[in-house]
Amino acid sequence: MSRESILSRVRAALSEHPRRDHPGHLEGERAPGDVLARFAERFRESGGEVQQFGSLEEARAWLDEFTCDFESVAVSSWVPDEVRPGLREEEPQAAELGVSVARLAIAETGSLLLDSREGRAVQLLPPTHLVWVWTSGLRDRLSEALEEVREELPAALALHSGPSRSADIGQITVKGVHGPGRVIAVVVPRPGSADLPDR
Amino acid sequence: MDIASREYARRAREILQHHPQVRESVTGATVNFDRHRRSAYERIDAEAWRRWAEGVKTHLLTHLDRYLEEMEENLRKRGARVHWAETPEDVHDLLRRLATENDVRRVVKGKSMLSEELGVNRLLESLGVETVETDLGEYILQLLEEPPSHILGPAIHRSLQDIRDLFHRVHGTPLDASPEELAGAARRVLRQHFLSADMGITGANFLVAETGTIALVENEGNIRISTSLPRIHVALVGIEKLLPRLSDLSGFLQLIAGAATGQRLGTFVSLIQGPRCADSPDGPDSLHVVLVDNGRSRLLADSEAWEVLRCIRCGACLNICPVYRQTGGHAYGWVYSGPLGSVLAPGLVGLGAAMPLPFASSLCGACEEVCPVRIPIPDLLLSWRRRAVEEGLTSSLERWVMRGFSGLVTRPWLFARVSRAARLLLPFLRSRGLPVLRNWTQHRGGLSPSPKSFREKWKEGIE
Repeated sequence: MSRESILSRVRAALSEHPRRDHPGHLEGERAPGDVLARFAERFRESGGEVQQFGSLEEARAWLDEFTCDFESVAVSSWVPDEVRPGLREEEPQAAELGVSVARLAIAETGSLLLDSREGRAVQLLPPTHLVWVWTSGLRDRLSEALEEVREELPAALALHSGPSRSADIGQITVKGVHGPGRVIAVVVPRPGSADLPDR
Repeated sequence: MDIASREYARRAREILQHHPQVRESVTGATVNFDRHRRSAYERIDAEAWRRWAEGVKTHLLTHLDRYLEEMEENLRKRGARVHWAETPEDVHDLLRRLATENDVRRVVKGKSMLSEELGVNRLLESLGVETVETDLGEYILQLLEEPPSHILGPAIHRSLQDIRDLFHRVHGTPLDASPEELAGAARRVLRQHFLSADMGITGANFLVAETGTIALVENEGNIRISTSLPRIHVALVGIEKLLPRLSDLSGFLQLIAGAATGQRLGTFVSLIQGPRCADSPDGPDSLHVVLVDNGRSRLLADSEAWEVLRCIRCGACLNICPVYRQTGGHAYGWVYSGPLGSVLAPGLVGLGAAMPLPFASSLCGACEEVCPVRIPIPDLLLSWRRRAVEEGLTSSLERWVMRGFSGLVTRPWLFARVSRAARLLLPFLRSRGLPVLRNWTQHRGGLSPSPKSFREKWKEGIE
């Protein structure tokens, strides 16, 4: 059987090498300053857009204006009614806008951590992706975020850091090749929670 | 993909003489990649990160049996099927079976060098399964029927105009189409493939033993879609791609992005634990993880060359290599090119088949300095060169010359006489155009021997 022969060759090979210990945790960057500001700076650096609101009312007002430019929307099951766009709803492959909720957001890499339990197609197929980020879900470092989700891993997670892009055509960067060409992270207090705007 | 490295010198010459555009495109792209890599390394304490990453991979490799079993168990618990393949034929048999049992008509692929190594596309085509590469660069190459020339930017040897011409022919886009229009045409075509595919085939950048997580890094989103929409996902993974713990991913994901393109993180990172389960509304019904050996366990037993198994395929060594930059990857005649390919090929396909790749380097050492897992590539090149000499794989003229040279320099009396004779004769020999000397003097000044040898001057007392 392949399994046994591969494993036995590996074991035989390992007698050639002294075993080495794991070097432990990597002491990554520990930048001073505001986590939200750092997230916003880095998410924008890779072409993403960031909005931040201190209250759901403000966010709602912005949303209603923002969605004027769109005809149809696909909304994940995680999006609460308070921030659900009032647009015609479509399947993700037909919708102009996809709306989802980030499980966490990471400042170190400027990334949104998305979860398969809300549906993956809505995160990937519409040309524009709007992602709600709860203020309480902001994390400083990627290692912190991974540690936190380790005990509750869904079928799949994804980190999105800006819009889809490619430089495969003559080294010129093009956005929106397969995934969304525009991604907007909107940071707000979580509906129905005691989140404070400045965590 | 079969190895055709024997043709290295001929192919390199042909590219340089008849396709000067390749050198221009490849050098432009790699200089750019490397500039971004450098700024990423400046942002972090690169030396500490690289030492850490080397340590994790060395730990992993020296405990590989244990971690393979741990990973297998964790993936099975989440409902994934784990397969072990020793050879490309094992992988072919498995894919044939999966395609038949599941009535697979159309496959979408994410960029995977391992799938090139295993010749997956050719097999699928022989089964009548429509197979579409979805990475934009790979898609372009599939239309051109060319292999990738760089592990990260497979089509960097092609210019914008090349792609305009191609898309004009295939998709009817204008001959002066913008990159956006060209990408838009590819997006429309490939979107239909994504929506109708039965199976998605990808590689894996990392495979975490502790959680069974398959990590895939990309910028376009095609891998995320290929692993989300089709009902079957097959991930081909080399057994050396494991990482011990989920927390190790944080460092490796950032390091591979920085080393490859200078990004803080690939735009899309998929972290897949298993097939769709009851809690998720979409995703593949079945997930097959194929652990591929294909020479890796044999290489692990090589007390020198095994270090290349730390490689995370970032492409940094290709980007900085002054030799790779001249020709791009096609000259090397194998799926992995550049410094990495030159030390991996002899380990995986055998030194005889990989000749003369270990010699396709100036040994400048830049590759080792940028490698995120600190693989001593120049040492490994020298190790393979030494073995090539020992196995009689180098040219007999070279062996004869080196043997003569060593006989000469180990006999001082003979060396003195021969060098004196050479000093006197060289001016006459030069005008005759001796083969080696002619090559040497073609682009350089002539050889003008000094009237006295160093040893004569030394005896007289140098000031």
